[in-house]
Amino acid sequence: MERIIKRETRSSRAVPAVIAAVLVIALCGFALLETALRAFGQPPWLVDPEAAMTLIVGLPGGVRPVLLGVLGAVLVMAGLYFFLNAVLPGRRARHLLWDRRAAVVVDDEVIASALARRARLAANVGPEQVMVVVSRNRVLVNVRPTSGVPLRSDAMLAAVNDELRAMGPSPMPEARINVTPEGVIGA
Amino acid sequence: MNGTPRLLNRMLIAVLGIIVLAVGALLILLASVPAVGAWWQGWSVGAWSNVSDLFESMRFPGGQASGPWIVLALLLVVIGSMVAWVAQQGKGRANFLVAEEDQGEVPGTVRIGGGVAEQALRAALAGRADLAGATVATYEVRGKPALKIRVEPRQGVAPHALAADVSALVEALDAVIGKRTLVLIHIGSGTRSRFGRAERVL
Repeated sequence: MERIIKRETRSSRAVPAVIAAVLVIALCGFALLETALRAFGQPPWLVDPEAAMTLIVGLPGGVRPVLLGVLGAVLVMAGLYFFLNAVLPGRRARHLLWDRRAAVVVDDEVIASALARRARLAANVGPEQVMVVVSRNRVLVNVRPTSGVPLRSDAMLAAVNDELRAMGPSPMPEARINVTPEGVIGA
Repeated sequence: MNGTPRLLNRMLIAVLGIIVLAVGALLILLASVPAVGAWWQGWSVGAWSNVSDLFESMRFPGGQASGPWIVLALLLVVIGSMVAWVAQQGKGRANFLVAEEDQGEVPGTVRIGGGVAEQALRAALAGRADLAGATVATYEVRGKPALKIRVEPRQGVAPHALAADVSALVEALDAVIGKRTLVLIHIGSGTRSRFGRAERVL
């Protein structure tokens, strides 16, 4: 069970893996084609392998430095993407809920929309006036109050905390309310 | 929950990332620092002449050059292993929920297909107004069957109440099948729950 939970809350990195594999396959396929053409004594399709090697050996001559630098920068970005994907922990935006029978994993978006509904009912504002952002350890409730109507933000915070306590996500985030200075007219 | 080889993914992506990063950094240095260019030309000419000498010395018994054929074989091996790697992603679906020797008097084994649980749960969840969708799949985790129930609630549905309902359904299923399987309930959001209408009942 712990294994399932661990695997469900972390990224499997399947997408970067497939991208990497497709890139390597494309590169090797091209090299395969050119080498095969050479092995059978046919004219090359795009680049002759030997000519390519002499160009690489002769760098930085033969290529404009700007082109070379841009190519290098693109490669550095791609390399960083793959490397960081492999090294960073790769936590998914999910929380665990306790249940006596099953392991329960909830996307943060679902938690946010449940909290937003509860918060807007407590504050008596419309659905488009509340935006909730849930991260691993924090819940941020952004409210735009109706212009001219006082907002009871402590009642709102109590409602959000109540809902969080009933939900019991792990790790337990801490709720904060942020009331914007501008109000909404006619909501 | 599926059998994606996560450690292998991480290691291969890291190795590839480091190689691409190093090549990119070398190209930038070649383009910007003349001293690196001089060093590179001195080093690579020697390396390339060694490799091409090796190529020339490799010949079939008949005297024909064998270098390109060896490169071809190596490239094919690399392509084949990459295809095998991609094929490993997302594996791990199972067919049976229970496959056991029966303890009764009649010899034989009992097998219950995963479709039993999948269809029963999907039918039980289908009528709910607070769900935009539900899928059930059987996986194999460390040789044991496990159920993955993914539900997509509409906007504003409390996840703990939904989880309690689904786990009550799972307990009813346990009673029918007579065996407790591992169960994961994933309450997620997708396009249907994001853009669909909210549930109107307060």
